[in-house]
Amino acid sequence: MSSEPDTDGQRADQTRCTAAVLEATPDAAVVSNLGVASYVLAGVEDRERNCYLWGSMGVTTPVGLGLALEVDEQVTVLDGDGSTLLSLGALATVARHDPSNLVVVVFDNGAYATTGGQPSGSELVDFAAVAEDVGMRSFEATSDEAFVEAYAAALDHDGAALVACRVDPVDPESRPPLDFPHVARRFRDAMDGA
Amino acid sequence: MTWESDVVDALVANDVTTVAYLPDSAVSSLVDRIEGEDRLDTVRLSREEEGVGVLAGAWLGHGRGALVCQSSGLATTINALASLSVPARIPLLALVTRRGDLDEFNAAQVPFGYGLADVLDTIGVRNTSLEDPADAGRRVGMATRTAFSTREPYAVLLESTLTGAKDEF
Repeated sequence: MSSEPDTDGQRADQTRCTAAVLEATPDAAVVSNLGVASYVLAGVEDRERNCYLWGSMGVTTPVGLGLALEVDEQVTVLDGDGSTLLSLGALATVARHDPSNLVVVVFDNGAYATTGGQPSGSELVDFAAVAEDVGMRSFEATSDEAFVEAYAAALDHDGAALVACRVDPVDPESRPPLDFPHVARRFRDAMDGA
Repeated sequence: MTWESDVVDALVANDVTTVAYLPDSAVSSLVDRIEGEDRLDTVRLSREEEGVGVLAGAWLGHGRGALVCQSSGLATTINALASLSVPARIPLLALVTRRGDLDEFNAAQVPFGYGLADVLDTIGVRNTSLEDPADAGRRVGMATRTAFSTREPYAVLLESTLTGAKDEF
């Protein structure tokens, strides 16, 4: 792990990495950030256990935390660099409670891709180092193969873990259902309940 | 019995499972009581806005959540309430220490604290003020029931007449 800006240019593919998440953890509850993370997830597979957010930027990882503390099943968050930057403090909250069934994936495309691709400034931010510094375990990936390994290691870790994955920006045409209460109700119904 | 223990009893009686909070002197006695209640899980936040997400997650996992914070902290949650809780129909109960009105000494607490109810009304979050300690448990119980029955967030504003304002005069 290094605090040097990553300028080597190697990037993973967000669509293939999202598919790898569903392949490795087919029953996981997946909470996806508004915009690209949700669009990609909906295109890979529109599952009942996908909780797509349509708003509340910066609150995606907290939704995953609350869910992971409530249920025993695997919870995976698909967050973005812009949303994570908006609430870096949330990682400290995750570390404080440290549920072992939570993995936070930060797909870092370096841009506010949903609003036109303006630079997010994330090239100066080492998300894996930030996560480690506040007490989470973290892993990094800049290729699809490395992501598969990093996600597996994050699942194995006995505590909350973050996977920081540099990806190329994508602009998928797929969209989750626009009926937001339906998305939430369908997801909740698919969770078994205590 | 204190109003704080009445409130905690009302939360437990109405199946609240999780309380997310940021510490605040005005609710420290309530938070202490919550922390001491085995039937409530607690989540300490770094920023109140996170609490809206955490409690949405709790509800999606079949729990019931309450947020405890000060009015200035609720100010950080407006985007999350207005773009997650309200439009997705995800309920929570908020217990908010209201600064900015009677006995307020700090001008920085006034604009949002005094305007809190108007802001909540504008984004479609129902709310009620709580001033009488004798009524606290009953009204918090009623607020909890309507929040989770209607699947909407609901805020109970704990006024300075209930909690006792900071004495800086």
